[in-house]
Amino acid sequence: MTMIAQSVAATELLEALLDAGVQDVVAVPDTHQRTLIASIEADPSMRFIQATTEDEGTAICAGLIVGGRRPILQIQHAGLYACVNNLRGLGIDGAFPIVLMVGLLSRDRAKAPQADFGSMVRLAEPLLDALEIPHHLIDGPADVGQIGAAYREAEQRGGPVALLIGAETV
Amino acid sequence: MPNTNPDPERRMTRDAALDVLARRRTNEVVVPAMTALGPWVRRSGSDRNLLNLGFMGGASTYALGVALARLDVGVWVIDGDGSLLMQLGSLATIAHAAPSNFLHIVMHNGVYETSGAQAIPSEGRISFAGLAREAGYAQVARFHDVEAFDAQLDEILAQDGPTLVELITAPTESFYKPGPPPSERPTPAVARNWPTVRDALRDD
Ligand SMILES: Cc1ncc(C[n+]2csc(CCOP(=O)(O)OP(=O)(O)O)c2C)c(N)n1
Repeated sequence: MTMIAQSVAATELLEALLDAGVQDVVAVPDTHQRTLIASIEADPSMRFIQATTEDEGTAICAGLIVGGRRPILQIQHAGLYACVNNLRGLGIDGAFPIVLMVGLLSRDRAKAPQADFGSMVRLAEPLLDALEIPHHLIDGPADVGQIGAAYREAEQRGGPVALLIGAETV
Repeated sequence: MPNTNPDPERRMTRDAALDVLARRRTNEVVVPAMTALGPWVRRSGSDRNLLNLGFMGGASTYALGVALARLDVGVWVIDGDGSLLMQLGSLATIAHAAPSNFLHIVMHNGVYETSGAQAIPSEGRISFAGLAREAGYAQVARFHDVEAFDAQLDEILAQDGPTLVELITAPTESFYKPGPPPSERPTPAVARNWPTVRDALRDD
């Protein structure tokens, strides 16, 4: 079976985040991106801010932006479902340029996310569509440039942009 | 279990509590939530009022983000008790991040006043100062008497935070009355006041 999603190395993702000017990583732990979380925690130029829910994480990112920082919200798909109201209230109504990195844990790498068996993976993109939030798949090392592009897009549109991490980071 | 809160007539009024805070306010960023929002803005107009409307429960972590971005500026959040209960885990998040410039005021009126004054769960037993202390805040205090709050506040503000001050207040009758439909009064306007605050902080 051909695999459409490949793992991206944590070092590459971290480098792209640093290149994009990201200073704060606001996160609720995601199994899918645990190698990236470990690299971020080990990097002294990144601040790691742990939240207990993704709703909190969204609001922390908004506050950081008010204070002039450039954060990323790093969560898993279940967390996306958990933060819909703050994402709507702050992201859409508040027009905050929040960039989210969402791990599609357990995604079938041979299929597009919307063809996945599991609801967690399958409904992520339709939910973002319903929230009018643009989203882009990072389905391998060739897609890492999406990180910098997402910040430009978020600033330009005045609202959130989601990056979906298609395969477990290594 | 007995009700540990004083009778309504022995509680401070919300407005008296806000007067005490407004008198101390200098250049702090203030995030007022729910029924504190309007009365606060009327007392203490500023380009550093960061308004919280339309994402119940988010005020404490919204303020936390600002505090972590600008450790050199005081950040106060005036939270509702029902709102804090909605994202109670934020107490641990704030205690862990431990910004020394963070003051968390909880207006403990015992009810969801905006939505019609329904009692909050465990009213009469719950202590927000107690929850914050056990979550790991640097400093907590609880007042039902406005004079005692006024007398202690300078000392509280002189200590490093994160600090939580629980104010036992008497409910008023501030039910939410829907205004004109959004086409005439766009709902995002309130949530979109943040660039003013960002710019004010940038000029610091
Ligand atoms: C997610 C969500 N659920 C329910 C509501 C309805 N609601 C609006 S205001 C409110 C009560 C707020 O209570 P509290 O935070 O104690 O502040 P108070 O109104 O007492 O000042 C509720 C339940 C809402 N706005 N958002």
